[in-house]
Amino acid sequence: MWEGIATGFATAFQIENLAWVVAGCLAGTFIGMMPGLGPITAIALMIPVGYSLDPAAGLIMMAGVYYGAVFGGSTSSILVNAPGVASTVATSFDGYPMARRGQAGRALALAAYASFAGGTFGALALLLFASTLAAFATAFQSPEYTLVLIFALSSIVAFAERGQVLRSFAAALLGLMLGAIGTDQSAGVQRFTFGRLELTDGLSFVMVAMATFALAEAFRMVVAGDDETPASKIAHARLHPGDAKAIAPAVGRSSVLGFLVGVLPGAGATLASFFAYDLQKRFRRGDEADGARGVAAPEAANNAACTGSFVPLLTLGIPGSGTTAVLLGVMLSYGVQPGPRLLETAPTMFWGVIVSMYIGNLVLLALNLPLIPYIARIVYLRRSVLVPFVIAFSLLGVYFTSLSAFDVHLMLGFALAGLALRLGGFPLAPLLLGFILSGMLEENLRRTALLADGDWLFLLDRPFSLVLAGACALAWLAPLRRRLSRSAHSS
Amino acid sequence: MAVLVRLALCLIAVASAAERLHMVIPAGPGGGLDGIAREVGRALMELGLVEQASYENVSGGGGGRAMAHFLENAARFDSPLLVNSTPLLVRSLQGLFPYSFRDLTPVGALVADPGVFVARADHGPSHWPALLAQLRQNPRSITFGGGSVRGSLDHIVLALALDAAGIDAKQVRYLPYDGGGKAMLALLGGEVDVLSTGLGETVAAIDAGQARPLAVTAAQRVAAIAETPTFAELGFELVFANWRGVFGPPEMSADDISSHVERLRTLRESAAWQAVLQRRGWEPLAADGAAFTTFLEDQEAQLAQTLRKLGFAR
Repeated sequence: MWEGIATGFATAFQIENLAWVVAGCLAGTFIGMMPGLGPITAIALMIPVGYSLDPAAGLIMMAGVYYGAVFGGSTSSILVNAPGVASTVATSFDGYPMARRGQAGRALALAAYASFAGGTFGALALLLFASTLAAFATAFQSPEYTLVLIFALSSIVAFAERGQVLRSFAAALLGLMLGAIGTDQSAGVQRFTFGRLELTDGLSFVMVAMATFALAEAFRMVVAGDDETPASKIAHARLHPGDAKAIAPAVGRSSVLGFLVGVLPGAGATLASFFAYDLQKRFRRGDEADGARGVAAPEAANNAACTGSFVPLLTLGIPGSGTTAVLLGVMLSYGVQPGPRLLETAPTMFWGVIVSMYIGNLVLLALNLPLIPYIARIVYLRRSVLVPFVIAFSLLGVYFTSLSAFDVHLMLGFALAGLALRLGGFPLAPLLLGFILSGMLEENLRRTALLADGDWLFLLDRPFSLVLAGACALAWLAPLRRRLSRSAHSS
Repeated sequence: MAVLVRLALCLIAVASAAERLHMVIPAGPGGGLDGIAREVGRALMELGLVEQASYENVSGGGGGRAMAHFLENAARFDSPLLVNSTPLLVRSLQGLFPYSFRDLTPVGALVADPGVFVARADHGPSHWPALLAQLRQNPRSITFGGGSVRGSLDHIVLALALDAAGIDAKQVRYLPYDGGGKAMLALLGGEVDVLSTGLGETVAAIDAGQARPLAVTAAQRVAAIAETPTFAELGFELVFANWRGVFGPPEMSADDISSHVERLRTLRESAAWQAVLQRRGWEPLAADGAAFTTFLEDQEAQLAQTLRKLGFAR
């Protein structure tokens, strides 16, 4: 293996490959920064360039585009509350309020450092454990996924502020229902599509996220009529003294968690960022008002997870997400078949790509930090400038990914509904979470039911399932117990 | 010599009035259909048969949106082609969209991906007859998996194979996964015992010794899995392949069709295309114009019958 790592360094440090890492990261971050555009769009745009390179350089570049876009994706989440990928939704929870408080530069810097830490940890873990972790990916089956998703849903409790628990649940349920629109995964039947071709694949994440987060927020600013720009106008990328120390444990935890969740095919990076945020909220200590850890944790997790998703791709030839599926297509077009034998057939590429990720993360940090002061100024624009900007970019982002006017109309409808919900005091984060998890939860639950064939006791034979079921029970019941004991005290 | 060939190719390029090919792909970038479109375009340009090739990915609606988009915009392009594959027939049979291949002009099929049934190397039935015997005793004793929903391709091929042996496919347990990759992971993890899938998606796992092919739906043995019996050898009448081919807009002059067909023939015989097939591990399929239409009609009849038996066709 050490031999392999040495070849990897030799490949990655070739001057042209270095140039392609930089090019890929650059393209990735800039595309990823656009509201509504995520890694898939970034990779799709770069495919023609990738096709013209040799396999190692091409894949190094495409991988750079991928994690560059994940790195840059947090920018629009933090600045304009417009998560372009599901995995940066959690970043907006604490990041956007922080930017509104006039600390946009700090929030972006926190995200950049945490992303760097997560990405670097991920690259290191990939380098050392890639082949061993493949077994972990296969040990996770439908029953385990179902339980993990139920666990993830429990984090809506973390979003619920005081007195919002019921509304939070209602919003999550609405999200789950929205996720049911489209083709039924088990029976192939159309649900709630009203015979429209545009709906047979269900609602797109970007559309729902842009509508309920970015657009609804822009509309709210208009309705509220406030022209309050944040009091302080700090745009520099400096952290507060003590920030590094405060976020270090959170970043460490989230990186490990993120990488492991990322290895699981499915919604790796998304689940990872939600778990990290949730963990942070449940065990918060003196971070309620600040949110530094709430930004750092999901960012470290989603970057580590994005690297983790290369484990099943490279070692099993199985893409865990839409983005890695596109990367698989690119590899196949080079005549490179990823899988257990990739190590024998293309060792230079295998190790070269992994080592290049380490370099790529350094590049991204060096690239992003100097840019932050300029990008962060967006938040300090006057409302009358910022709102049209956000609206235009959200609409463009959705139109670019779907190329359908129907989606744009739908988005406007959703944004208005989102605004109504917000004004009615319903939090929208649980809605989006429910929507993201809905499809996966249903698919896995129904497969589990088919496997059970009426006899659910088989779950008891699965140690993983038992542990997860215990964790679920804890996650769902612990807040209830706290509440009970609190009311017992007060009475 | 090479110079002469190139010169000749340039002349052909000029003669074919330097067409600009525009391909509509009913899937996102990076998938199988995207791959074939871009390989065809690239090879045609290399051969000088077209001046330029552009691609447009229109995913969604199970391919229906691409179809609508193609029918609406075809007139705007010099030489428009729609790439498609077997699911086109399945979806129009199920009534998922209001189109069928009859709304297009079939130009030619280029590659075929036979269906294959695989078990994990150290688990599940050891060969096809053993699988059938086990199913006859208890149809729910084997869990099948596939990379698409019930009533779509992987499930249909399974139904075809079981039907040939007189087993009711509705009785067996089929778990759908979101894509062939996740289905393969379920096979390796032991959640499903046998996977119904396309050869292209499994060849890596077979090569690596993780998965064991039981039977293949090709007419003859396939080079990539030379030891795997065909259904004909096992004594069943079953041949099936997921074709990938190109279509033109509904109104095409006979001249247009024949020039397209001629171009595909040149492509198939070229070394460049042979290299593509080799590199991608694709099985070639040659059916052009009228022959392609007949091929489609036959496959449609085969699929319609199976879908009816499964209770999916309208």
